[in-house]
Amino acid sequence: MVLSAITEFAAQEPKLYALILGLVGAAIIASVINVAAMAVVWLERKVMGDLQARYGPNRVGGRWGILQLGADAIKLFTKEDIIPRGADKPVYVWAPIVASATTMLVAGAMPFGAVIINGREIPLVVANMDISAFYVEAALSIMAISAFMAGWSSNNKYSMLGAFRGIARMIAYEVPMGICVISVAVMAHSLNLVEIVQAQDVWFAVAQPLGFVVFAIALITDLGRMPFDQTEAEEEIIAGYNTEYSGIRFGLLYFQEYNMMLLGSILLVNLYLGGWNGPVIPVISFLSPMVWFFMKLLIVLVALIWVRVSLLRFRIDQVTDLGWKVLLPLSMVNLVWAVAVGLYFA
Amino acid sequence: MTTANDVLSALQSAFPGAIEEAKVAPERQLWATIKPDRIVDVCKYLRDNHSFDHYSGAAGVDRINDGLFEVTEMLASHGAHQVVALLKVKTKRENPSVKSLTGLYWNANWYEREIWEMLGINFEGHPELYPLLLSDELVGVWPWRKDYKGYPDYNTADRAIEKVNPEGYTDYSFGPTEAEIKAGTVPTERPEYPTFREREEMEIKGESEMILHMGPQHAVVPGPFLLDILVDGERVKKAFLDVGYIHKGIEKIMENRTYMQGIPITDRLCYMAALTNNEAYCGAVERLLGIEAPERAQYIRMILEELSRIQSHLLGTGEFLTLIGSAVFSPFLYMIIDREDILSCIESVTGARINHSFVRFGGVRNDLPEGFKDMTLDALKKIRLKTEEYKELFLSDSIYRKRMEGVGVLTPAEARRLGVSGPPLRASDTPYDMRREDPYLLYKDMDFEVITRKEGDSRARVEVRLDEIFESCYIIEQCLDQISDGPIMAEGLPKKIKPEPGEAYYRVEDHRGEMGFFVVSDGSEKPVKVKARGPVYAYFQALPPLLEGTYIADVVAIAGSMDACTSEVDR
Repeated sequence: MVLSAITEFAAQEPKLYALILGLVGAAIIASVINVAAMAVVWLERKVMGDLQARYGPNRVGGRWGILQLGADAIKLFTKEDIIPRGADKPVYVWAPIVASATTMLVAGAMPFGAVIINGREIPLVVANMDISAFYVEAALSIMAISAFMAGWSSNNKYSMLGAFRGIARMIAYEVPMGICVISVAVMAHSLNLVEIVQAQDVWFAVAQPLGFVVFAIALITDLGRMPFDQTEAEEEIIAGYNTEYSGIRFGLLYFQEYNMMLLGSILLVNLYLGGWNGPVIPVISFLSPMVWFFMKLLIVLVALIWVRVSLLRFRIDQVTDLGWKVLLPLSMVNLVWAVAVGLYFA
Repeated sequence: MTTANDVLSALQSAFPGAIEEAKVAPERQLWATIKPDRIVDVCKYLRDNHSFDHYSGAAGVDRINDGLFEVTEMLASHGAHQVVALLKVKTKRENPSVKSLTGLYWNANWYEREIWEMLGINFEGHPELYPLLLSDELVGVWPWRKDYKGYPDYNTADRAIEKVNPEGYTDYSFGPTEAEIKAGTVPTERPEYPTFREREEMEIKGESEMILHMGPQHAVVPGPFLLDILVDGERVKKAFLDVGYIHKGIEKIMENRTYMQGIPITDRLCYMAALTNNEAYCGAVERLLGIEAPERAQYIRMILEELSRIQSHLLGTGEFLTLIGSAVFSPFLYMIIDREDILSCIESVTGARINHSFVRFGGVRNDLPEGFKDMTLDALKKIRLKTEEYKELFLSDSIYRKRMEGVGVLTPAEARRLGVSGPPLRASDTPYDMRREDPYLLYKDMDFEVITRKEGDSRARVEVRLDEIFESCYIIEQCLDQISDGPIMAEGLPKKIKPEPGEAYYRVEDHRGEMGFFVVSDGSEKPVKVKARGPVYAYFQALPPLLEGTYIADVVAIAGSMDACTSEVDR
């Protein structure tokens, strides 16, 4: 009965229905993403511990330390929110909010797997737009702006250096990353992420190995993770752009990083690793795309953590060198390759 | 090869009348008292004609009974010969003044500054006679003079003078009260000089330049010290170093303890090198006493010191990697785990893991426990395998090479001029190792190689450390083979140690470089003066010139590769 009432409402007021649906979806995504990011933090601490022959969190919440992140979050959210006297107050206050808003922007257009109902594959995505790959790519780069806002407004030398580094790095890496996305779109004949996933009978990581590598490196840079975490290199500039932040604002900036890590990994899975594609698993055929999706996602996340603990940090000039002199030409080569292969098989 | 006697006779013929008294004891050490006005000429002659190109340090002694100050300049050579020249200059206690050697040896700078601020001996011709270790409030009281009565505690809260500066921040300053000035317990006249902050602000030119503080609390510093870099964007224009945040006055403390009570204090010089610090101090006192440890004790000392070298190099390398990598970089934790085995070996003998206080005058405290040999050989086997692995890891890692190669290059000539020692010097193609140059214990019978590298960059410094781990393993194995039963303490040593009046200087190869102890006795049960000449002091002095023109990220790569230890600088 409820279902029929909804269908009726949808037929009568299609615009209002779409708005309500969007808001509900946004609310779900916002909560799921943040909780998932906390799970990623926990995963990182645990995997890092294992890789370094130590335990990681193992006190709060049983021997796996599951509640550790809850405890950390409560601590961060109840601490005093200090705003330095010399800070540019409006910008300083808004930077973390811009940062979390950015993650929500990205999350809105990102497909999070699919479910099979009545033999039909229904992708889980809030806003299924035609240019979602392009949109996600554009929204990802706002992250550097929020970091710059935070760094510049703090009125702190370390923060400012971190902000400069962030911008220099962003410019160097968004270009090859964008070209990689274009190459994928050329091969998939679409900029829609759902269609890109559905077009991957052969994973694009196999069809464009070069593009995969370039995109993966550029993605790590974009996420600001080791070996590309120059913006917050604690051995050089304390904590970079978020040096002055504390309490809930620091918490937002910190979680935003992990949100981005999660979303970036999902983007990588969708663009190159075939998203939720995979053979149907007999008993749980309803969920089988989700199983594949999460397996791939987990592998990418653990790989990112593995890279973090085993590589040294680049110097900032070496990072921009790598971006402009190596990755950009390689991404161009990959574009040519994608066009050629795409034309051949079209 | 030049002997100390050759140098002495050459000196006597070149400067007739300038040398007041001279002796050669023990062999390879030349002690001479030089007339104050000729010291620069004598040193210049020695440097140019007898290749005394290594300024090893200077010690100031307060001879209050004779109304004199003595400054002993220690000169040595980077491999041309093994003679150490200890040239003494005397000056009156009223308006004491000595000629500065900074014109001849660049690295005399810090040693002379220390003597100036502690004893108040003026160095004529010194370019920057500013306090180095003392805080500004204490300059002018000359705390290491024997008639120093102690100074009112400035750091109590009721003395703090609060002042709100124009930017709205509160500054605190401390000063003597009116009553103290009236009573004459504090000096009213103080030397005038530009403060550290003023000196560095003088260097700022242009709008785009700023001073970036690294320290006193910063991830790059191994202990509290201030490394200020003047940056233009990411480029370092100039670096300034301020030390003394944790100055403990160890040398003054040791003057007020008996000889024996000094041993635990030497542990605290550097937490990584307690055993070699013990060795250097005990060696110097043994020279004063004219005794030597029995053979078994010498072997035990060598085994432990080399074990200690291994653990120090492992930790030093690991810490350095966390600096250029990140705090979560894994090899650091693996090295800590490997180090545990070595620490267990040391612990089984000394009973302690960090502060051992193990070496005694004329021997060691304990004998080796049962099963020590097998345990150590097992640990060494493991360490060898692991170190091989680390070396391979660093050689094959392209990011590592990118960050390390050609960074902070010290040419051999530059390294000698800046006065660094230990692995940084050996990485600059200078095989200068006290175990060969100034053999102590039984190192002259040991078969080992002095590791050198040609490049002189940060990577070479780390590689030298890793290779030295192999050499240390080899030395320990030889010692364990050769060691025979016997006493572990020299006989006939009195309970109360009162050496004959005299002076002794004893150098050992610390994990970080040349560690020397200069001990002066006047026949009583307390030393007149103990001077610890540490290797890190020399590194720190050499750091600012090395950092000029590099990137901010390279500051970490260079400072970390020196394997510094602040507590030894702030003795």
